Amino acid sequence: MSIPESHLAQEAIAALVDGELSAGPAGRAARHLAGCTTCRMAVAAQREAKEALHGSADVAMPGDLMSRLCAIPFTAEVPGSGTGPGDVRASAGELTVTGSSGAFSLDLTEGAHRRGSAGGRWFRRGVAGTIVGLGAGVTALALTLPGDTGRAPAADPVQPQQHTEVAPPVLRTVTVGSPGGLGAPGGTP
Amino acid sequence: MAPTWEQVVRDHSARVYRLAYRLSGNPQDAEDLTQETFVRVFRSLADYSPGTFEGWLHRITTNLFLDMVRRRQRIRFDALPDDTERLPGRAPSPEQVYADTHLDPQVQAALDALSPEFRVAVVLCDIEGLTYEEIAATLGIKLGTVRSRIHRGRVQLREALAHLAPRRTGVTGEGS
Repeated sequence: MSIPESHLAQEAIAALVDGELSAGPAGRAARHLAGCTTCRMAVAAQREAKEALHGSADVAMPGDLMSRLCAIPFTAEVPGSGTGPGDVRASAGELTVTGSSGAFSLDLTEGAHRRGSAGGRWFRRGVAGTIVGLGAGVTALALTLPGDTGRAPAADPVQPQQHTEVAPPVLRTVTVGSPGGLGAPGGTP
Repeated sequence: MAPTWEQVVRDHSARVYRLAYRLSGNPQDAEDLTQETFVRVFRSLADYSPGTFEGWLHRITTNLFLDMVRRRQRIRFDALPDDTERLPGRAPSPEQVYADTHLDPQVQAALDALSPEFRVAVVLCDIEGLTYEEIAATLGIKLGTVRSRIHRGRVQLREALAHLAPRRTGVTGEGS
């Protein structure tokens, strides 16, 4: 039996308006409201605020936002593979992203020409990485070739090994084992 | 068959943008929040578990919004200790708001006047139509906190509306 002096809790008023009270408490609230003008006004106020927001129509998205969102796979900086979008595999016209719990395919054929220059960025990064990798491989190979520089790189193992003009025109100066780098010009492929 | 990224964007961007707009109250922030939300989605697709996609989007968008507000409050706090709400110059004109949203500019202004925590709870409930349980999960707060934030948010909203538009029917009077 409810006591008329104790009004509905504020939380109960909001929950009543939203239909979030279970049957028992809702029934008790209804009985209280029947005899309590103060709480009826509080419920009406909640309902007014809710309806003021509820009537809001859809927001029109700016026209170019959609195309920018669609271009995210090609424009977003993706952190290292550890936190990236799982396994990424490219096939003829599709880029498949496979995660632990699902897969997304990015269709590269449809509208690929529309995306223009932005479309190539993802792949350009991949290609650049491959080239860098190839360059490192060539460098490593070049360094293992014995006695082709006229120097004796193994004489002092503490010093960074420096080869100049190993295999022009691919490599000019290669520095290995020097953490800070010696700032050799043209050292990066 | 796995959806393409374009499908994901087409299916969900309007909803994310609407939420971002209602929370931030202006198109620039709404665009930034939407863009950032989808960047996060793309980066963490691997963590997505089916069935919770919309909840996940709500969570990312609201968290980004609250982060943005806190960042600005910190900046503001150093400069103007008394005002903790918004950066100046970002608020669009009422005409702009109406053109963008078809939402009564006074309602959006009243929404903007709410503290961010209350605004998030009220928007998720009354505009996005989430249940209290979903809101609690989205914001990582208790059910009782959801209830009280919604209640207090609506009380503030109604006061702000009455203040902005004293002649508004149904706001000043108790009738109807």
